[in-house]
Amino acid sequence: MRAIVHSLTRAAWHFCALTMAIVLPALVHAQPADDAQPVKALTTSSSGALLMLRDSSLFAVEGGSSTEITLPATDQGAKPTSLTRGADGSVYLAGPGLGMWRYDSASEIWQSLNDTLPNLGVTALAAHATQPGTLYAYLGKDGMFRSRDGGTEWVKVDSGPREPVQAFLHSDMPGSMESGWLYAGTTRGVARSMDCFCFWGDAGDLRGTVSAISYDPAAPENVYAVIEGQLHHSADGGETWTSLEIPQPVTALAFSPAQGLVVGTVNGNLFARGAAGEWTPVHD
Amino acid sequence: MIKWISALALLIVPVLAGASDGPVSADNAPPEVHQGRQVYEQYCAACHGWQGEGADDWKKPNEKGEMPAPPHDDTGHTWRHSDAMLFKMIAEGWRHPFNKSDRLTMPAFGESLTNQEIGAVIEYLKSLWTDEQREYQAKESQ
Repeated sequence: MRAIVHSLTRAAWHFCALTMAIVLPALVHAQPADDAQPVKALTTSSSGALLMLRDSSLFAVEGGSSTEITLPATDQGAKPTSLTRGADGSVYLAGPGLGMWRYDSASEIWQSLNDTLPNLGVTALAAHATQPGTLYAYLGKDGMFRSRDGGTEWVKVDSGPREPVQAFLHSDMPGSMESGWLYAGTTRGVARSMDCFCFWGDAGDLRGTVSAISYDPAAPENVYAVIEGQLHHSADGGETWTSLEIPQPVTALAFSPAQGLVVGTVNGNLFARGAAGEWTPVHD
Repeated sequence: MIKWISALALLIVPVLAGASDGPVSADNAPPEVHQGRQVYEQYCAACHGWQGEGADDWKKPNEKGEMPAPPHDDTGHTWRHSDAMLFKMIAEGWRHPFNKSDRLTMPAFGESLTNQEIGAVIEYLKSLWTDEQREYQAKESQ
């Protein structure tokens, strides 16, 4: 009896080992691009294509098809989390362990902008709405850094709002003492400062952890923020907010010159918002 | 031992007191700063405080829905603005876009003060900042 049990156990082990040997290589070589992965970040390219960060892959979505853009080669553990477009159309990528990078679409080369940053722990980035060389990087407890020369020299300019920043935005909404406004999505809601970093105050009484923030460049008083998948809209620069109907929980936002407000969802889909507030799928 | 400590203190304390990592003493300030202080006391101090300390709770709108006058000393944000921007603010005034009233948050003094007087006020404000803030503001002014 003991011999039979021993034989069965050995057979079971062999079966498991064989199964693992077949399945594991297939899993390792599986494409990371999975339509069901949440969209982590969105922006637009200078050609008008939507750039979508899903899992750890970047895709350009245009004309009903998507093309994968190879991400910069970085150390293991680097997490791309943020995307934005500069005033000159340059695309910037950032994330913890990754620092900040600029993509040259003509040469398809990523350029590191990390030489003068204190570390690679960039958790949020923003690009000035009208000044091509001005960039902002948030490095958690190390504070907020600004570059005015396209990322060559970074200078610490502020500690940032009291709560950690999850999403960052520069807006050219009028009324600032300087050249615009900064909106920071924090764990408490939306904080706002003129871009002199004069002081951070609450933008209205929207509360919760903000995971994405965007604004309408054609009507800058219109600001959008996502809290726990719910999309909120302010028509007065962040003073008051209303909740918008959405097809699926939202994870990323961008303003496309052609499509207006586009959201990326927890299911990996993209939807564009029409003039009447209706949502139309953006097919990739 | 006590004598040694006292002697050491006599040596060190004047050095620390002479270090300029903070607001400049009005006593040894240039004449323009003296003039700026006089102008400041006449036109600005009523709102921004006699020592540039600003209004209480200046980061929140007051009961009228207006942003109170901020400090001009090292606790405020004046040092974050270039000379040109400070001049413009004093000469032309400014309205905070989120104020509930339509009036200027910062009144315009371009009719009351000469360009030289405005420049003197700005020089006086600089005397209220730390060395680090003056350095930051000098770069902003370039």
